[in-house]
Amino acid sequence: MSEKFDISNIAKLASISLSDDEKQKLSSDLSVILEHVQALSNLELDTNIEDVYIHPLEKELVLDEDIEKPSLTHDEALSNAPKASDGKFIVPPSLE
Amino acid sequence: MELLNLSIRELNNLFVNKKAKPSELYSEIFDRAANSEAALHAHLSLFEETNLEKAKNSDERFSNSENVGLLDGIPLAIKDNINIKNEKTTCSSKMLSNFISPYNATVISKLDTEQAIYTGKTNLDEFAMGSSTENSAFGLTRNPWNTDYVPGGSSGGSAASVASRSSIAALGSDTGGSIRQPASFCGLVGFKPTYGTVSRYGLVAFASSLDQIGPISKSVDDARIIYSAISGHDSLDSTSINDEQIDLPFDKNATIGIVKELMEDGISEESKKEVDKVIDILKQKGYNIKEVSLPLIKLSISIYYLIAPAECSANLARFDGVRYGLRVDGKTSYEMMENTRAEGFGDEVKRRILLGTYALSAGYYDEYYGKALRARKKMVDEFSSIFKECDYLISPTTPTEAFKAGEKTSNPLEMYMSDLCTIPANLAGLPAISIPTGLSSNNLPLGVQIMSKPLTDNSLLNFSEMLEKELDFNRTPEGWSK
Repeated sequence: MSEKFDISNIAKLASISLSDDEKQKLSSDLSVILEHVQALSNLELDTNIEDVYIHPLEKELVLDEDIEKPSLTHDEALSNAPKASDGKFIVPPSLE
Repeated sequence: MELLNLSIRELNNLFVNKKAKPSELYSEIFDRAANSEAALHAHLSLFEETNLEKAKNSDERFSNSENVGLLDGIPLAIKDNINIKNEKTTCSSKMLSNFISPYNATVISKLDTEQAIYTGKTNLDEFAMGSSTENSAFGLTRNPWNTDYVPGGSSGGSAASVASRSSIAALGSDTGGSIRQPASFCGLVGFKPTYGTVSRYGLVAFASSLDQIGPISKSVDDARIIYSAISGHDSLDSTSINDEQIDLPFDKNATIGIVKELMEDGISEESKKEVDKVIDILKQKGYNIKEVSLPLIKLSISIYYLIAPAECSANLARFDGVRYGLRVDGKTSYEMMENTRAEGFGDEVKRRILLGTYALSAGYYDEYYGKALRARKKMVDEFSSIFKECDYLISPTTPTEAFKAGEKTSNPLEMYMSDLCTIPANLAGLPAISIPTGLSSNNLPLGVQIMSKPLTDNSLLNFSEMLEKELDFNRTPEGWSK
């Protein structure tokens, strides 16, 4: 397993801006944790397992039928928005 | 009348026989909760007005013999990552400090049907990530047994609330031990049900394949009453299951396994002694006891700290400053998101999001997340095989007694190790319970954990109740008994 990683790139992928101090501290913390999980690298595992379930009881996820049901009202859905107008969420422009 | 130490069944009996009223209990509980805040800070909010009204309505029902069940008029504390409509759900994060939930979690809708009432919302490690309740953005919670010590986490507020008699019982959530570890640190019962038997709808997601809601209580019977009320299939949760419970023997025909790997290095002598004490009781009662080995348990922290952060990084992507929660301005949407997440999340949450992002990133997915998933599958197989020869598995709940506040905050890995015994049940979706067994030389509670195969929750509770009676642990921390 690889230990080296680019903290700036990971932070960018996670959409979190980090100060230089944070980058240093978190890099050091993550190195220690990644070193610990290296223990898995020696484990012999069947790489051909295709049915690795997300559900720990190995159940299929059950989705509802696509039928309209009562849900939050428009106002309720917007009630916690940091900025909303005219029934819409308002965000800064995507491009400068 | 001293009501705070009574069980749910005892309280119900008093209400039914008109020897006490729910509103009297609520007043006592609310006074205790308000008065304990300065010393413990178990709660992030207390609901005096709205719920006093509910307690009076409960008085009326008992007076007219129209009460609905055992939880009618019983004050419960709710971990602040579970949504109650029109109340704040902060998850102890600056990100959600002003979030008012527009809907009820399914567990709350079910408790409403039972006419339970709520003392308030309890403190937790931010987004349930932690083992000490020190990661809360709104201040740490202290252990009622000794306020120099942590109450455990992440449901530390719920445990401190019940232990200080500020609520009769509480709901917590358990992703890697967050119900059982604080219950053990505070001398209480903590029950993590089989994954999928309690709906996660309305629980703010941390790691969806591991999270499960359950009770923290003074007795196994209280845990059973709450589990019975909150469990059941829910179409609003795609991982909810609708399977029948499986019965296991809980008398001396049951076979008990002692998990070898959880009685070795890293476990304190005091924690091991509690397991030995339980083994002696079971031997005297004629149970068949055997040592069992689950080699992969040794790797459970490694498996967990890849899967849980990976799921966390995906779940917490929703906190982007657009639809709810904090927003910190930026010139573009992307800059706004980066600034919002930098300001809104605390250190531990950032650590886990970054770890999960790395484990899922291109080129590393198979090496980390994929490998952890396959190792998890192998661990599930190990448990399945052991449960062919054993009905219940016993281990310490925690490697040590509660630790001092500040003792582990600078070393994340050391903090993670405090969940060594509890994480395997989450990885395998098993029901697992912690029951208090005794006190350490520092006068702090210790407990043992009992696990059983999926869907044997009711049998596990019956077996635990038998042990609870034999252990006869005095569960009231000094200073909070009256």
